[in-house]
Amino acid sequence: MIEELRTKARELLTDGTVDCVIGYEIAPRGDVRPVFIYDPAEVDRLVFNSRCDHNLVTYLNRRNKPPKRGAPVPTTGIVVKPCDAKSIQVLLNEHQVDRDKVTIIGVACAGMVDATGAPETRCTHCLQRTPLLYDVLLGDPPESVDAADSFDDIEEFDALPPEERRAFWLRELNRCIRCYACRQACPGCFCDVCESERDDSLWIGIADDIPEKAFFHITRAFHLAGRCVECNACELVCPMGIPLSLLNRKIVEEIEHSMGGFRAGISDEPTPLVTKLTGEEEINEVHK
Amino acid sequence: MPTLIIDRQEVHAEEGQTVLEAAQAAGFDIPTLCYHPLLEPQGACRMCTVEVIRGGRSRLETSCTYPAWDGIEIKTNSPAVRETRKAIMGLLLSRCPSAQTIQDLALEYGVTEPPFPTEAPEETCILCGLCVRTCHELVRAEAINFSERGVDRRIGPPFLETTDQCIGCGACTIMCPTGAISNILEKQGVYLDKPLGPTSAIYVPSLQAVPRVPVIDTDACIRFRQNDRSDGAIADACGVCQLMCEADAIDFNQQDEVIDLDVGAIIVATGFSMWDPALQSQYSYGKSPNIITGLEFERLSNAGGISGGQIVLDNGEKPKRVAIIHCVGSRDHNAHPYCSRICCMYSLKQAHLVRDKTDAEVFEFYMDMRAFGKAYEEFYERVQHEGVYMVRGKGADVEVLSDGHLRVKGENANLGIVMSIDVDMVILATAIEAQPDANRVASLFGLSRSADGFFAEAHPKLRPVETNTDGVFLAGVAQGPKDVPDTVAHAGAAAGMTLALLDKGEVTISPTVSYILTRYCTGCGKCVFVCPYTAISLGDDSKADINAVLCKGCGTCAATCPSDAIRSLHFADEQLVEQIEGVLYE
Amino acid sequence: MNESNTAAQPAFEPKIVAFMCNWCSYAAADSAGVARFKSPPNVLPVRVMCSGRVSPELILKAFMSGADGVMVLGCHIGDCHYDSGNHRTAKRIPLLRNLLIYMGIEPDRLRLDWVSASESPKFAQVTRDFVDDIRKLGPLDAPFRVPRSPVEGAAREEVLHD
Repeated sequence: MIEELRTKARELLTDGTVDCVIGYEIAPRGDVRPVFIYDPAEVDRLVFNSRCDHNLVTYLNRRNKPPKRGAPVPTTGIVVKPCDAKSIQVLLNEHQVDRDKVTIIGVACAGMVDATGAPETRCTHCLQRTPLLYDVLLGDPPESVDAADSFDDIEEFDALPPEERRAFWLRELNRCIRCYACRQACPGCFCDVCESERDDSLWIGIADDIPEKAFFHITRAFHLAGRCVECNACELVCPMGIPLSLLNRKIVEEIEHSMGGFRAGISDEPTPLVTKLTGEEEINEVHK
Repeated sequence: MPTLIIDRQEVHAEEGQTVLEAAQAAGFDIPTLCYHPLLEPQGACRMCTVEVIRGGRSRLETSCTYPAWDGIEIKTNSPAVRETRKAIMGLLLSRCPSAQTIQDLALEYGVTEPPFPTEAPEETCILCGLCVRTCHELVRAEAINFSERGVDRRIGPPFLETTDQCIGCGACTIMCPTGAISNILEKQGVYLDKPLGPTSAIYVPSLQAVPRVPVIDTDACIRFRQNDRSDGAIADACGVCQLMCEADAIDFNQQDEVIDLDVGAIIVATGFSMWDPALQSQYSYGKSPNIITGLEFERLSNAGGISGGQIVLDNGEKPKRVAIIHCVGSRDHNAHPYCSRICCMYSLKQAHLVRDKTDAEVFEFYMDMRAFGKAYEEFYERVQHEGVYMVRGKGADVEVLSDGHLRVKGENANLGIVMSIDVDMVILATAIEAQPDANRVASLFGLSRSADGFFAEAHPKLRPVETNTDGVFLAGVAQGPKDVPDTVAHAGAAAGMTLALLDKGEVTISPTVSYILTRYCTGCGKCVFVCPYTAISLGDDSKADINAVLCKGCGTCAATCPSDAIRSLHFADEQLVEQIEGVLYE
Repeated sequence: MNESNTAAQPAFEPKIVAFMCNWCSYAAADSAGVARFKSPPNVLPVRVMCSGRVSPELILKAFMSGADGVMVLGCHIGDCHYDSGNHRTAKRIPLLRNLLIYMGIEPDRLRLDWVSASESPKFAQVTRDFVDDIRKLGPLDAPFRVPRSPVEGAAREEVLHD
């Protein structure tokens, strides 16, 4: 499958379909990292294995504009897993990606593993082994999948008493250093100026206290409502090991349960937060 | 064109006419009993008999069937004719001595007593067959016909049994000259809004209706009802109104028209509805025809109404005692808590009318007398002097007694006693309320409703005719109970404001519009979805753009934008944050 | 608790920020005032044109700036002066509220209700009830306030990403 990938990349770069192929390569210390291939001669750097857990779609941000005035909009080839492909759908819905300028190299996925070799938790919830969006599909989908679409972890956490939940989040959020790596890694966070980083400190300033951090994370989770595809890039990239998926997936569960089973990245429907009530929601139980 | 001589005058008839038609068209008066211009002539009653002189010979013929041939001479009132008619009336009077029409017509011919013995003195059917012809030719129901022969001849449904062929249209009843046919109506009247008397299926809603054109109630009209019959009955039944209309103005095929208008302002003047007093059983409304609402009393007292303006009970007699009960359904937490404003004054007026038109004693049971307007208090005093008994206490209960009288119980607070009086007629001054479709009208025009259910004005004191939606105004009781002078003033205000709006040539829009901070906009398009006025679009530069004219300033877009790229003028994030910090400042 | 000091502590009076839409709830608040329906002074009004204007950021800012409770009062669904602004409010606020509950914040601290312009008694009742509820809950603590005591188990040296 890797040979197919390299051949395809060489082809796309040679015939000028794309300026750049974004994929994965082996990092100097043996793990995997993203790579930007501009030269067809370098395609042998491309790999794909079960450590390719980064969501490369975040690099499509800013590639929908010309690099400088008068230059053409760049074209890109991108290697995506099924979860990443959902990000592309979200970006398409929000006019951040020009479909004609992106060649989607979809890869069938058997699930990713963490550094210890254990299956990543999110992959145990994922039923999609083939990307929904692709121009090229590489690899064969696995025959059986040991996964169940569930929010067990969220429900388990929800069942804890409120004091424990509060203590948990205080402890976790306190470690946050507001490096914004989670935001940078997330394909859904493409705002030019982040609300949490305004120079006029309208909402929060630069103070490193719990309220500021709480504001950032709650707001970011809220802005992802109906848009988060559960790629887990945020948690993977956090240098402090904060369990961000536990927070962001709570929103996914809420939207799924109270807004008609909606899941992001599947269709061209926008997030239900921007649509009108259908009349079937229970809107009376909004308090008490 | 045939020319004939009628009573020595030359009359030009039309081809195919009968002598009767030609004579009537020329202004001659020939009596008839069994003739109707819309039905085939039968020649049953023989009253239209005239002398026909043709070919030198004089014969007595029924003019309704005799053709108006060229060259014949007719005598409509010769001695022979009069003798004949007198004989006919004698026969008819002997058959039906109690029929008023026959009595009156017989008198014209000098017949005062029936010359022959009467077999059935109560008989009123003269066997003219108008009913049968109506039922067959016009209604096409074919439910009744002649049966038996000779002296046993009679009219009715087959075997005189109730038949489904009869559609209960009542046309036969209307046609019958003597009132021999009566309808047994299972439901009183057809119109819930006109309970005081039956009317035809085509009617003018009231003498003061604007526009004063008739309407057809398609639930009652024979033609439309026949169209519903699934047994293949002919659909073009009756249609008498269309035949009779000289202006040819009736079109049974009229459909609802939907008209699209582009307007700059709308005035909602949808009026009110009456509360149904049957909802509170203590008033016994519906249990006696003499317990009526204030509105029904107005219809009764109207000169164009069924009793010609006379105040009468259901038996046609004038009442001797009338009770008027105020606040039925108003000022009542079990119905409407508000005061309906108009009832005190109209109840006084109605008491005044009853006193003027009858000798009845009038008792007014009131809680407070609201005589707030110009000359209102003076009128109240006048009515008191006219001998109307003012009982200060709510009329609490109306009981229908077995003899038909109505027992009204109420407290007389001034005397500190509970009164119970038996009256002939009770008038309930019922509450007025918002129309039953007020919710739909409100959504259509962006109106809200006040606590009393009427449409909400923009400000209870300062803006009585405007609403929160620019360009939509309220006029009259749609906004709240008010009497005629106040309604006129209110409507005038609405008209004035509308004219001012249209005349200005420019529209003032909300200043709290939002605009895009293009620098921060990522073109994600979420704002486009949330705008209720489609004021936002994505431009060629892939950034959002807000049309300031369409924008009404709700700010929903500003709250939706994750980049803070939308600023709502006067309600910008910076301003709201300052407010929040300000109120919480310690 | 040192019993001899009980008299020195003033009773906790919550601070409530109420976002009210101009056409319905704010008008109700106005009429409630005119009609002298008693409403507690703890409720600090912030008028917006439509409840749809209330973003989660504003609510969080209110909590962070000292509010112990936040109310969002809008028009009844179907009655929004701007047609559907309150539809978005109806979706946003419960979502935010559930997220806050998930983080251990008391559910009663954020309330969404619909109060039309003619419902001034309801406005007074709703504000009275809310203030009572918040009074029982006490002042808001972390995460929206700098915590009074050190956060347990939060030493940064303990966790490093591999």
